Amino acid sequence: MAANEYDVLIIGSGASGGMAAHTLTQKGVKCLMLDAGPLVDFNRVRQTKQAYELPYHGFGEPGKLPHVVQANEFNANQWVDEKEVPYTHDPKMPFNWVRVRMIGGKSLFWARMSFRLSDYEFKAKDHDGFGENWPIDQAELAPFYSRVEPIFRVAGRTEGLKQLPDGVFEEDTTPWSESMNRFIGQAKKRDIPVTKMRRALGRGQFASSFNLLLPAAMETGNLTIVPNAVVRDLTVDKNTGRVNGANFVDRHSKREMHAKARVVVVGASCLESTRILLNSKIANSSGALGHYLHDQTYITQGVVAIDKSPKGNQGGGSGGYAPRFVNLKKGNEEDFIRGYAFDFNLAGTPDPKYIPAYGADLDKALADYRGKAASVTIMGEVLARYENFVSIDKNVVDAYGIPVLHFQCKYSDNESKMLKHAMNKFEELCQASDFETLAKHDQPWPPGYSIHELGTCRMGDDPKKSVLNKWNQSHDIKNLFVVDGSSFVTGGYQNPTMTILSLSMRASEYLMDQMKARAI
Amino acid sequence: MKRRRFFKTLAAVPAGSALLAQQPATNQSTPNQSAPGVPLNPTRGTQPPGSAAAEDLPKLEPTVPDGAADAMPRFFNSPQFTALQKVSDLIMPAMSGSPGALAAGAPEFLDFLIGDSDADRQRVYRAGLDGLNAESKKQFNKAFGDLDATQAAGLLTPLKQPWTYEEPGDAVARFLRVAKIDVRTATLNSREAGAGRRFQGSGLYWYPLD
Repeated sequence: MAANEYDVLIIGSGASGGMAAHTLTQKGVKCLMLDAGPLVDFNRVRQTKQAYELPYHGFGEPGKLPHVVQANEFNANQWVDEKEVPYTHDPKMPFNWVRVRMIGGKSLFWARMSFRLSDYEFKAKDHDGFGENWPIDQAELAPFYSRVEPIFRVAGRTEGLKQLPDGVFEEDTTPWSESMNRFIGQAKKRDIPVTKMRRALGRGQFASSFNLLLPAAMETGNLTIVPNAVVRDLTVDKNTGRVNGANFVDRHSKREMHAKARVVVVGASCLESTRILLNSKIANSSGALGHYLHDQTYITQGVVAIDKSPKGNQGGGSGGYAPRFVNLKKGNEEDFIRGYAFDFNLAGTPDPKYIPAYGADLDKALADYRGKAASVTIMGEVLARYENFVSIDKNVVDAYGIPVLHFQCKYSDNESKMLKHAMNKFEELCQASDFETLAKHDQPWPPGYSIHELGTCRMGDDPKKSVLNKWNQSHDIKNLFVVDGSSFVTGGYQNPTMTILSLSMRASEYLMDQMKARAI
Repeated sequence: MKRRRFFKTLAAVPAGSALLAQQPATNQSTPNQSAPGVPLNPTRGTQPPGSAAAEDLPKLEPTVPDGAADAMPRFFNSPQFTALQKVSDLIMPAMSGSPGALAAGAPEFLDFLIGDSDADRQRVYRAGLDGLNAESKKQFNKAFGDLDATQAAGLLTPLKQPWTYEEPGDAVARFLRVAKIDVRTATLNSREAGAGRRFQGSGLYWYPLD
């Protein structure tokens, strides 16, 4: 039986793969999408339960997902099983690789924080001399952000900040609470901007490729989706040197299959895409494939403080976002480079572990502090360094016989100094705003925790230093594109999803033009 | 109340499994009608999906094990378990009509959970409970479980120290820090706490993906 040959094979159905399908199919391009996970019927697989109905009463099965801090006993089945698809790392260098395999990918579960990068990121080397610039700048990507944001319905407040460019927002005009006004007043004195969180509202219960991108692509009649297709590697035409499809394993039957296409777009998430290319032994004449792994370094509850005012939480919203405010001038202002953001709330209830009490005293303290606790997640930029990388572990395969990734990644002194600065600065702001510190720390989660892996197929103008060109196209193989976060050169402090979506839209339109011109 | 709870528990059965378990009786003529190469399906019935007969199927109401039976602690030794009961009662006493850790069966549940956990977690508990008994013996010449409330509270002073990121070096202090949260969670998530003011343990559960 002759198999179909598609114009474009898209691997992955999350934000990047979904946007590629959305863009290409509406222009008449016949696409085949493979995803390693199932198409989930959310009404069937989810149900409200009481913790005592679960085997471990909500504690979770010990040892089930040792690297997924975000997992609990309720949602344990939504994450990739680490026994089914393992990975390896030096025990002294843990990496929390958090994965989702289902149609829609991680876009089903993201925190929806929706930011643009600025030229502090795109041209970071020009600013402080470290690393490489992106081959594109803010102005070049801006029109694509402006088309992506309305699809995802991004709410935010227009501020005019150079370090956090505004988007096409559903304008957030909600007022601040009394304590936030107090806090903002103190922040202003220190040149620290505070804005409303920029967040994708989506439609219904999701802001995902599952409901915002794939349905429109399917309606064109140009998209074929095959779930449960675990891609092993890409295949190459020996005569032309171009990719011509992918080998994949059916997740249920373990049957080996091959899909053919004129062009391959990989959007399987940063590290799964990198794993596919490494296992394919292609697109790595630069030697950069797998290197420059970075994410954002996170501290959760870096400072927990209690508002001394009894009515601080009244009058409006108590959640805010303070984008990067350090190292914005040329030269180093601090003993570290780059910057961080605060994602914070001033009207929560503290975790009981921070309260030095037990029994009735603890219950009373929790009642007294309810709605008065400030807490912050510190989100810091991680430098993209060659020494942080993934490679193929030849000794370990997953449940499908596919060699797994080995991680070699750790944070540097730059991140440590940055996080200490951030903790102290937030505590300073709290104390100046009449909050009393209950607890603080400057210890980040292991790399990977933010679920923002980036950089392992980075783009650049120089084929000797980068895997992709500025169109997310392989320097080595012209009909191969990688459209997810692996193409990032630097990640900044901002959550990356809007940038991934914009890059994928831009790359897909370029691909279409190239196909029309018969250059591919 | 009990009947309502049973009803809810039934609703937790996945739709697919529930339907499969409630298939009508086998149609005896089915085997002869199967196409060549198609495996016979002894559970396949004759009613079309969504028929009135399918909607009339009975809804049984099972309960969870804790609703009908007692847990059998077997991980901690007797002195350790007695100390765990005492410390659990101090950490989560009954308050304002809500059940405390003992009524919620938190020590018995933790015996199961810690027994199923890795060696590090087990060591923290065993060393901490042994440490409490040893200190109690030293100060009062009796086991921790036999202390009065004032005496026992005196050994729980590490829980009144400010929180630090670094774990305490002392075995008792390290155990108490962990136990404070575990006992609290085991109590609040228990079936017994379900009807009380303190209950917090519900969520959207994900069944394994097909």
